[in-house]
Order: sequence, then structure tokens, then C-alpha cells
Amino acid sequence: MTAGNSLLERLRRDPRMHEAVLRFGESIIALVIGLTIGAVILWVSGYSPGEAYYYLFQSSLLDTYGLTSTLSFATPVLLTGLTFAIGARAGLFNIGAEGQLYMGALGATLLAWLAMHVPLLDSPLGTLVGLLLGAALGAGLALIAAMLRVYRGVHEVVSTIMLNWIAYWLVYYLQSQKLYWPKDPTKSIPVPPGARLPLLLPGTELSASFLIAIGFTVFTYYLLWHMVHGYELRASGLSPRAARYAGIDPNRSIMLAFVLGGVAAGLAGAGEVMGRPPHYAITSGLSNLVNMGFDGITVALIGANHPLGMIPAAIFIGALNAGSRAMQAFAGVPLEMVRIVEGVIIIALAVPGILHMIEEYLRRKRELREIAAKEAEASQAG
Amino acid sequence: MAAPETGREPVVSMRDIVKIYPDGTVALRGVNLDIYPGEVLGLLGENGAGKTTLMKILAGFLKPTSGYILLRGRRVVWHSAAEALRHGIGMVHQHLSLVPVFTAYENIILGLPSRMLAGARQRIEKLMEETGLEVPLDEVVELLSFGEQQRVEILRMLFRNVDVLILDEPTTNLTPNETETLFNAIRKLKQQGKSIVFITHKLREVLEITDRIVVMRRGRVVGELPRAMADPRLLARMMVGREVLMRVEKPPAKPGEVVLRVENLWVKRDIGTWGVRGVSFEIRAGEIFGIAGVEGNGQAELVEAITGLRRVERGKIYFLGRDVTNLGPAELYRMGMAHVPEDRRSTGLIMDMNVVENSILGLHRWERFLRNKWGMLNWAAAEEHAKELVKKYEIAAPGLYSPVKYLSGGNQQKLLLGREISKNPKLIVAAQPTRGLDVAATEYVRRMLVALRNQGHAVLLVSSDTDEVMQLSDRIAVMYRGRFVVVTRPEEVTEEKLGLYMGGIEQA
Repeated sequence: MTAGNSLLERLRRDPRMHEAVLRFGESIIALVIGLTIGAVILWVSGYSPGEAYYYLFQSSLLDTYGLTSTLSFATPVLLTGLTFAIGARAGLFNIGAEGQLYMGALGATLLAWLAMHVPLLDSPLGTLVGLLLGAALGAGLALIAAMLRVYRGVHEVVSTIMLNWIAYWLVYYLQSQKLYWPKDPTKSIPVPPGARLPLLLPGTELSASFLIAIGFTVFTYYLLWHMVHGYELRASGLSPRAARYAGIDPNRSIMLAFVLGGVAAGLAGAGEVMGRPPHYAITSGLSNLVNMGFDGITVALIGANHPLGMIPAAIFIGALNAGSRAMQAFAGVPLEMVRIVEGVIIIALAVPGILHMIEEYLRRKRELREIAAKEAEASQAG
Repeated sequence: MAAPETGREPVVSMRDIVKIYPDGTVALRGVNLDIYPGEVLGLLGENGAGKTTLMKILAGFLKPTSGYILLRGRRVVWHSAAEALRHGIGMVHQHLSLVPVFTAYENIILGLPSRMLAGARQRIEKLMEETGLEVPLDEVVELLSFGEQQRVEILRMLFRNVDVLILDEPTTNLTPNETETLFNAIRKLKQQGKSIVFITHKLREVLEITDRIVVMRRGRVVGELPRAMADPRLLARMMVGREVLMRVEKPPAKPGEVVLRVENLWVKRDIGTWGVRGVSFEIRAGEIFGIAGVEGNGQAELVEAITGLRRVERGKIYFLGRDVTNLGPAELYRMGMAHVPEDRRSTGLIMDMNVVENSILGLHRWERFLRNKWGMLNWAAAEEHAKELVKKYEIAAPGLYSPVKYLSGGNQQKLLLGREISKNPKLIVAAQPTRGLDVAATEYVRRMLVALRNQGHAVLLVSSDTDEVMQLSDRIAVMYRGRFVVVTRPEEVTEEKLGLYMGGIEQA
């Protein structure tokens, strides 16, 4: 049996493939519906939807600079989306990516500070050290939430919200008081040129951090569906009781999900600092980082917590972010409008899921009625 | 029929009640029941017979899938338990529903409009005096004993002037004195013309307190008789019943060496009280050891302790001669233990995973399903394995990659059983293996267990279905309150006698 043959064969008989194709189709329809409703809102608000959308997509997908800028916006939210998705697969509602991303950015900034004293780090070695520091700090923050959950039963929503604020003010303090750049105190010490993530296309914003994000996404997919640890993680998420029965320790899965998610968010933060022109630093008030963690949740939702589905989802969110600048500049539509359109699309994307639930409920109910009728008949006969 | 006082109209009639839970479990298969004013009705049956479900429907906690209720001759439909309560039907559950940090008084009046609260305290005190159900009204409920909490709940119902009071296994956690107080109160309420439904599986109580007894089995009413005509033997026989299933052919046992030895085992329940209180036994290769008993007498805790899911507090478990006390399930499976758990939907299988994924659950770290030491799964091997199971056990599934929630209960159980057998185990622990299955699937599972025994596997069967234990076992133990009250052979005991042991009436 040849490989191509078996792939075709799989497509035909594997219901998971049907499911995936179906879901993708639904997402496209939801997208169209969302954009239509968004258009109505724009129109009612006195803007020209055609013009707005033209600039939105023209400048985000249809020219090289726009496309690279879309991908660079997609990079951090793909990673923070993975944080949420891995958690969700383990039965968690981990909204700590925001804080873990700050910590990742702090890791890269620490590298920049170290490089001031150790010139050797102004090199690809420094890149590696910065990424490792970012991943470690992101994972470290996540580990606190994991341990609170496993040993003290603290719900992760509560702990991650609080840790997000702790990380925010910690990084805020360090940026403004300790690690600021004497030449421009509104940013932290920038990463030296030799340690920066290389740009994939000169003159654009797209750096190698995009490749890191894609690599991590593929790795996550492989881990969840092709490795025993991922199998155990998903089993724990779907049924902790059954996991225990199968000799799996659900707490280990929770730990793994948090730490892996922390690494993803940490890499996202480090990648922003080490790979994103022009600053290569944390800016005052963390303004170049804020909300990248929360946007990841959106990406995970659109991508149905599936790593591969999240790649197009992240590019879509990236395009909205990248295009909104042109939409504002050329069509005069305020940035907030983009957020509204984004919201409408996300709600539209949730509709198929709700329809499936209703369908399932009605099917179930019909089945029960039929069985009940049979039982009643049998009892009258007997 | 056995209407107690002819000429009186029933206060409540239930007609053709069928209840099927959303997961497909058939709880009630067409039940008719009348409740008369001023009577104590005993609702008797084994676990899973449908007693509680029937009464939850009457009290508005559940909606029937079909059938209807007549209240004083008029058809009613409950949209909530509160509505049923307003119409005079109240239920006290086995697990009480009080606000722990409120006082007894606050709990009793909770939810009533203020216009009904004038003189409430005096009226409650009067109620307590009349019924003998005394509670300290100003004490916080969580500081009260279980018996007192139960009284609060009953007073709550009486204060709302219920005509029909349903008590679900009310004596389970009571001391003998508290039980006596409760029974006295029931007698007084009866004199006031109230109807009391007393749900129980305890023969002694049903004979002591009720006027009329309705026996249920497997979702049906199988008998109804006035107390005067009832005796423990008759009731035990009705409760346990005889199934119309075919007998499973069983050649004589050829017991081999000891596979499992349990010595003076003590295990706690979730709530911290003792579930298993000093149990010892042995199982040999090639025999089925059956544990009968009403559920909740420690069987579940015993099974979990043996299969590594619950901590052993005292005592030892030896499996294949090795001390495995408090060893985890993964190691036990590797040594050759298999476990068909009581609840296949939430424990034995993962409903949202597909057939292939479920076919390796618990075996997923076995070498044959791994490609290397890094933990890459060999899905090709897993698919092959699932295919074999589907073929060998005739599992009807929409596809290897459909979630198992789309399989029928019988096919789920076949998949589970097949997977466990594929471990080629020395011991199979099967808890309630035929619960909720249809006749064909039940027979299939039973034959399978006997076949395993014939091939020299040891089988530990735990079932509250007495008939099943009698048919399949080579040796039988009856568990009551955490202990074995008797260990015997099926040919040396009658089902009736087993029923009496299970009800705690006969001591060995």
C-alpha cells in the first residue's frame, strides 16, 4: 500500500476527516456571516463597508508587507492560543497566557541586560538563552497555578487571573525602574542586534519567531494525538475518573498542560521582544504586549482547540489586527470598529456548535420517546 | 387488588409511568401505583429497581418519559418540585437538602413568602410536640446529627402541610433510637390522615411500619400486598425474583492455585466512615467467586481497594502470591489483573474518545502500542487491536473512529469486557457487569464470564442481582454492612435465604 493511496483511503473512511472538513466548511460560512453582519454595523454607523473591508484585506493579505505583518501578528496569538487549547484538552480553563507572556518578555529582556555585561551573548547563543529564559519564566508562572490547583485545589481561573496581575505589575516595575534603557526610559534595554531573531524578509516585521510558533503548534499536535503523554492528557481532560482507572495520574496531566502552556506563552513573549521591530524591548506600560494572551483564547475558540485548526484562526486574527491600521488610516474607521467585527465573527463561529447541541438533544429526545412507547406497549401486553 | 380501605379514593394515582434517562437507561417500564390517605405505603425493591425514580417523578424532581399522575382524580403535570410541594407532595431525599450554615428554624421557613410566617415559630413548636420530632430550632444545621437534620427536613415538609410525605431510605444513617422516634412520628402522621411513602430495601422495617407493601423489580411493580399477608420469606422471594433468562451452562469447576488472597481488609468510604470492615477471602484459578448484597454495603469500596483505586487502611491483598496492598492500577494490570468497573460510562470507557482510543485505555503504555521509548503511540497496532476486538466480540459500532458514546450500552460493555480480556488476565474483577443491559447482551456477558472461568481465569463477580450471582458463581459471599455475613455455595443455599442474608435478617 502506497502512502498516497492510504491517505486517500483514510479521507474516505475516517469519520474524523469528514468531521474536520465539515468543521472547516462551517467556519468559512460563519466567517462570511460574521463579515456580513459586521458590514451592516459599519454601514449603520455611517462608514462604507466596501471601502473598510477593501483596506482591511488589501493591506493585510494582498500585499507582501501586509501579509508579513499579518503573520507577525498571528505569531504570538497562535502560541498563547496553544496555552489555552492544551489546558482545555486537559480539562482546564487556563487563562494565564497573558501573564506568562509578560514573563516570557521579561526573560528576553533579562538576556538583553545580561548581554550588556557579557558581550558573548550578542550572538545566536544569546538568542537561545533569551528564548530559554522566556520559556522558563513563562512555565514558572504557570507552575504556580498548577501547584495551587493540584495541591491546594485552587481553581485555575482564580489563580491565573491573579497571577496575570502579579506578572503585569512585576514586569511593569522592572521595565520602568530596573531594566529601562537609559537612552529612552520608555522602553527596556533592547536586545542587541546579534541576539535578535532574524527577520525572514528584510524590511518587514516577520521574524523567525513565526517559525517557532508553527513548529510548536505542530509539536503540540503531535504530542496530543501521537504520543502517550498527550493521550493521557486528553483522557484526564475528558474523564478524570476513567483516567485514574486506566492507571493515569490526572494531576500529572494537569502539570504537563500548565507547564507546556507556560512554555508556549513564554516563547510568545520572548519572541515579541527578540523578533519584533522596531523596539526589540518591552515598551512603557507593556503596551506592545497587552492583550496578546487574551487574543489567544479567541484563536483557540475559533480553532476549536485543535492546534492545526488554530493556524488559520491565528492568521485570521492577525489579519484583522494588521488590516485595522489601514482601515483606520484610509477608510477612517476607528480601531474599536474592528473589535466589534471581530466579536460578531466569533459569535457567528459559535453558532454551528450550538446548532449541533440542539440537533443532538432533539435526536436523543426522539429516541427516548420511541423506546418509551415500546416499553409501555410491552408492559401493557405483559 | 389489595386496596386497604375500599370505598376511599386514592389521593394520588400514577399511571403507566415510563422513565428513560437521557443516557438510555430504562428505569421504569410502565408502572401503576395508588396511594391512599392515611396509609403508610412501603415501597420495596433492590437497588436499581426504580423506587426512587418513581417517587422523584411523583414529587416533581423528574419528568416521566411517558405516563401521567392523578392528584385526587385530576390529571397534573409538575414543572418543578416546588409545584408538587405546593400541591401537597413532599419528598425527603436520602441525601438531605438543607443549607448547612442556616439554623434549623431558617431552614424550615426557607423560601416561604413573609405572609405565611406569622406565628411560624409557634406552629413549628406545636408540630414538634405533636409528632415528637424535636430539634433545637436555633442551632446551625451543620452542627446537628444526621437524625436531627432529617427531622428538620421532615418538619420543613409538614410545615408546608403536605398530604403525601415520601421518605427515601430514611433509616440508612439513623441510630436505633432515632429510628424509633421516626417511626412514632410516622404513626402519628398517619392518624392525622397523611399518606407516607416509605422507600426501603430493609425487610424488617417494611414489616414493622407499613400498612401495605408494593414490591418493585427492574422497573416494574411485581407485587402488592397488605402487611398482614406479608412475611420476610415471601418478600425476599418477590424482591429477588427469577429471571426469564436462559440458564448458562456451567461444567463443574476445576479450581487451581490461589490467585487472590484478601486478609482482614479495612477500607474507608469517601466520607471517611468504614466501608469494608474486615473482609477475608481467597479466589482460585478457574472459579467464579460471587459477592451478593444490596448496594452500598461496601462492595464498591472492596472492588476499588482490590483494583488499586482506593487506599487500604488495614489488612493485606496478595495477588499471585505477591503483596500488592496499595499498589496502583497500572502495575496491577501488568501483573495480570483486569477490571470491568461498575460504571462503564464514566469509569471504564471515555465516551468522547473513539473505539480505537478506548480499546487501549489502561494498556496504552504497553510495549505493543508504543513505537519507542519516547512514548510515540503505534496507532497502527492500536487500530489492529480494536479491529480484533470488534470482530471477536461482535461489537456493532458505526466505525472504529466514532466516539463510543454512539454505541449501545451492550456494545459498550462488550468493548470494555473485550479490552479487559485482551490483557490476558489471571484475575477479572467484574462489578455489576450486566447492569442496564438488554436480555441478549446480559446473556452474552454471563456466558463470557463462565467461558473465562472454564479457561482457567479467576473471576471476582460483584452483583446486586442475586439471580446472576446464583447462576454464575462457584462460591458466594453475601456482604452486609462491610462484612461477609456468609460464604457458601450456590447448591447449599436458596435465593430466598440469600435475600434474607442481604436484608440483614439472617445471621450465619
